[in-house]
Amino acid sequence: MYLPWTIKHKPRTLKEVIGNEEAKLELVNWIKSWDRGIPEKRAAFLYGPPGVGKTVTVEALANDFQMELIEKNASDYRTEEVIKRFAGLASQYGTLFGRRRIILLDELDGLTGNADKGGVKAITDIIKETQCPVILIANNAYDPRFITLRNYCLLIEFKKPKVSEVLEYLKVICKREGIQAEDAALKFIANRSEGDVRSAIIDLQATAQGKKILTYNDVAWLGYRDRQENIFTVLKMIIYARTCDGAKRAANMADIDMDMLFEWIYENVPSHITDPHDLARAMDALSLADIYRGRIKRTQDWSFMRYFIDYMTAGVAMSRVNTKVAGWAPFKFPQRIQMLTKTKSEREMMLGIALKIKRKCHISANRAIKEFLPYLRVIFRNNSEMAAKIAKWLELDPEMINYLTGSGIETAKKTIEQQ
Amino acid sequence: MSFELWAEKYRPKSLDEMVNQKDIVERLKSFVKAKNVPHCIFAGPPGTGKTTAALCLARDLYGKNYREYIMELNASDERGIDVVRETVKTFARVKPMGEIPFKILILDEADNMTSDAQQALRRTMERYTETCRFILCANYSGKIIEPIQSRCAPFRFTYLPREDHDAYLRKIAENEGVILLDDGLDAIYEVCGGDMRRAINTLQAAASLGKPIDAKTIYLIVGRANPADVRKMIETAIEGKFIEARKQLRDMLQIYGVAGSDIVRQIHSEIFRMNIPETWKIRLVDIIGEIDYRLVEGADEEVQLSALLARFVEAGYEIKKSAKA
Repeated sequence: MYLPWTIKHKPRTLKEVIGNEEAKLELVNWIKSWDRGIPEKRAAFLYGPPGVGKTVTVEALANDFQMELIEKNASDYRTEEVIKRFAGLASQYGTLFGRRRIILLDELDGLTGNADKGGVKAITDIIKETQCPVILIANNAYDPRFITLRNYCLLIEFKKPKVSEVLEYLKVICKREGIQAEDAALKFIANRSEGDVRSAIIDLQATAQGKKILTYNDVAWLGYRDRQENIFTVLKMIIYARTCDGAKRAANMADIDMDMLFEWIYENVPSHITDPHDLARAMDALSLADIYRGRIKRTQDWSFMRYFIDYMTAGVAMSRVNTKVAGWAPFKFPQRIQMLTKTKSEREMMLGIALKIKRKCHISANRAIKEFLPYLRVIFRNNSEMAAKIAKWLELDPEMINYLTGSGIETAKKTIEQQ
Repeated sequence: MSFELWAEKYRPKSLDEMVNQKDIVERLKSFVKAKNVPHCIFAGPPGTGKTTAALCLARDLYGKNYREYIMELNASDERGIDVVRETVKTFARVKPMGEIPFKILILDEADNMTSDAQQALRRTMERYTETCRFILCANYSGKIIEPIQSRCAPFRFTYLPREDHDAYLRKIAENEGVILLDDGLDAIYEVCGGDMRRAINTLQAAASLGKPIDAKTIYLIVGRANPADVRKMIETAIEGKFIEARKQLRDMLQIYGVAGSDIVRQIHSEIFRMNIPETWKIRLVDIIGEIDYRLVEGADEEVQLSALLARFVEAGYEIKKSAKA
């Protein structure tokens, strides 16, 4: 059975949680202080980088102290109802069965923008009144949104564990799994993780599961988990792969979705596969991948996904026949995605006009953009009398008229070229 | 209220006014006479009168208040299957007041619906047949699922024959007091190929220049309406500058909103005017055709067309190599 090792080997007690001894002690003292009545700070705010053990610590804490843990993630906060239920839970100290409880609000970073402004306020209100310990977790406690909230919380910082501590933990896991691991292999993983224990365990599982012996060679292909760095590594491994399998495996390492990976490959292939024959083959492979993407969309049959991935990875890699590896070209962020963002207001304008046309001319907005707009532009630039009548008939607003008479499109093009 | 866009102004208002698609019009008239309409599929290329026929049928059937009895939906705008399902159901299940016991739902660009959405539609069509008849307009009936096709009377629309096309445009020109010269008319037909909406739009744009319309004006308009400099893009690719050519392509598609199919068409006609070995022309046409077909199937325009550009790069390279040898 496939169980993520991050869960299978999760520490059950605080003693098993690696690193952050100070933070753990502070937290334990705070929890103990509840035995003497409600402390000044009714909430503890744990913050620090991802994967250093914040959530795991709270879970182990509850286990050690035999407390009931009630946990909510960011995605649950939104509704007022949920917050009210929280308030209800928080108003009693113990449970029906006499166990005390901890309320954990995880992933506070996930509260977004204005929509959740009320959310932070509601949480603050709960904390002011709560009768049982509340623990908050976020990556960044100093986010301006939490400015008021912070005043009511005991701030506890979680730091990255040392590489040596991560290494020790990896050894424990290997022992439990019955894997003989080379020291160098585990060191490699621990170093790569940069203190992110979770990612180290994921990497270990990815390279070691099902093996009896883990060597340095088994792990050497792992990339940095840092996103930007990671996508570059993945791209390099795909475009320069020597085997189909290598290219396909690289795609599995990417922590972006396959559509986005496609965009990255599509953007960067021409600067890395330069021989004309190779390039034609590579672009052909990508166009076939795109065909399968379309088929998935149309039929909603996701099993076609494998062909989409095969073409965009192995298909591209195998196109490289004549191109020599010479020098190094940097990888670029997909320009057409960037451009789509930049031309957003432009497209919104076109859509706005198209919707006006749709109302009068029995045509879809999409088609109106292609079949009416080009001619309207010509008319609006050449014949103000005819243009005025059309504008009135279609009920165009002044901005739309401006756009059609030409100032709009040229400016848009200029801004894009400047950037 | 007067219509200011000619494509709408000169849209026939009743089946009697429709100048072409004679067989279709006759059959539709018989529906009006019998006051009964089956589910229909109107299939055919753009600008051949599918929507017009549906609207004319409705007007002839229900009279001047026909709007109360019909609903127009567009599969390419209303993509969400749930939206379509809900809107369609709400409209379809209520029996209308009046002599005719059913309404008509015109579903445009039905070939853009996913097969899931089509399956859902099929059930709605069956369930509410009594109170609602569906007219599905599509460019390609092949993209409508079999079960729907078998429940619909099929109608195949074709491009207007040259005489009808000419007569209609001349009538418009006369009405609008515009001088349309013979070579101007030729040029419109060459550029638009019988797509009446495009032809009328082109005519109106040309008329906006305020002079007699000749071939030169038409080509000027088409050039301005499609700022896509396809020739330049091909030349860039043939010189081996793929990334630059792809950038030009991207501008056409994203900034100017030029349709990918238009670019393919222009590439196709450019090919034969270009100074490249004859054997290469036909090799490239082979690829162009394939790409054209993929676009029809709804593939990503930029990805497909840039695959074509890469072939031009390859061609340019080979041509240069053989010239040296």
